[in-house]
Amino acid sequence: MTEDQLEGYAVGAACRVDLSTVSRTIAEIPVGLDPEGVAIDTERRRAYVACSRSDCVTVVDLDELEPIATVAVGKEPIDIVFDAASDRILTADARSDAVSVISAETLTVERSVPVGGYPSGMTYDPAGRRLYVGNSFGSTMSVLDLDTLESIATVDAEPGAGAIGLDADRGVVVCVNFVAASATFVDAERLEPTGRIDLGTGACAVGIVPERGEAFVVNSLAGTVSRIDLGTQTIVDELRTGQAPVGLTVAPAHDRLYVTNRGAGTVSVLGVADGTEWAQIPVGGGPGGVAVDPSDGRVLVANAGSGTLTIAEDLLAGPPPTAASEPLHPLVGRTLPEFSLVDLATGERRSSREWAERKYILNFFASW
Amino acid sequence: MLVDIWEGVGARAEAERFREIWGIEGTILLDENADYAQLLDIRGVPTNVLVDSDGTVQAVGLVRLHELEAGIDRLVGR
Repeated sequence: MTEDQLEGYAVGAACRVDLSTVSRTIAEIPVGLDPEGVAIDTERRRAYVACSRSDCVTVVDLDELEPIATVAVGKEPIDIVFDAASDRILTADARSDAVSVISAETLTVERSVPVGGYPSGMTYDPAGRRLYVGNSFGSTMSVLDLDTLESIATVDAEPGAGAIGLDADRGVVVCVNFVAASATFVDAERLEPTGRIDLGTGACAVGIVPERGEAFVVNSLAGTVSRIDLGTQTIVDELRTGQAPVGLTVAPAHDRLYVTNRGAGTVSVLGVADGTEWAQIPVGGGPGGVAVDPSDGRVLVANAGSGTLTIAEDLLAGPPPTAASEPLHPLVGRTLPEFSLVDLATGERRSSREWAERKYILNFFASW
Repeated sequence: MLVDIWEGVGARAEAERFREIWGIEGTILLDENADYAQLLDIRGVPTNVLVDSDGTVQAVGLVRLHELEAGIDRLVGR
């Protein structure tokens, strides 16, 4: 094959995989600083992206594939929900300890509703008309009436309460506690905790597959997804994913999960039934929140590092013949390019030559 | 060494805040526009780059603790 024909084939794998049969990037759209959450308005063909460092929601036209508006909200909006019944967009504004309520028609903020300390995760029950908010510093979960936005209850959880999942069939709410590395199970009717479970380090996102009676929780530092039996409230499997997973959503067909790998700039496609990693889809830098457009199955990813929204197509009909493997970084085995970077402590430039003939580790990080 | 990237605005202040919260005493370098990270094709955070004494990159990634520990053992020849 010629070099041109080889373009698009992953180098270094045991066998060459045609990337074009696994996924296709439709667009990568600049949306603002540190986008973390994404919600979809199928009727208007829009995506709403919570940009946490811009303190705003960016509205993206999904047909024109471009941003069309921004709405200023509270400080550090992390999670976001669109409720079609009330035609409202809601953001969990972490540093405002509040939820902003936005009219999707006028794109104006209607009100700000106080919740607990540092709300970082949110989900809603469209049929039961409830909003659930995980308050990380408060170690609680706020439950609000989705129409009146009045508080129904504040439920005790554990430190780092954030991501929340709902199994409406069983009437169980799962609140994931990042700091405690645990999950709290809550009876959705009585709004009382009924149990808890220890999880992996950095538990931070959750998805529910009600017909299997299972919850899937991302453990970001452990690099796994825990499969939890909701009947017994026990972990029954650990699924391997990419580096530093932070976000998760369940595909509309409930046959696969999409897990964003913040440490790799990819989305893992995990089979629900077989628990294997089918593929890693390349997206933007430092991906976080993920959602699937139910109208066309496209995967939308908020990339906190690159400040973009990736829209991609998952082309896999089912499990591939070979499971995905983590490719070797092209830098391995090569000489590290020289650097000259400012030292935070002194303000002076430091060069890689200072560390010549020494062994060291560079840890690339972001404070968020 | 830590290299701070992707802060958007106020990188120095955000990195300083991070240092205070976590009590970091080691060297923190600022790559405000992520130019160096882009040169290395760093696509996520955190990402560890292990460098040998001849400047050769031994590993990239290693976010899982047991993988990082194994990578360090190989790097120092344990």
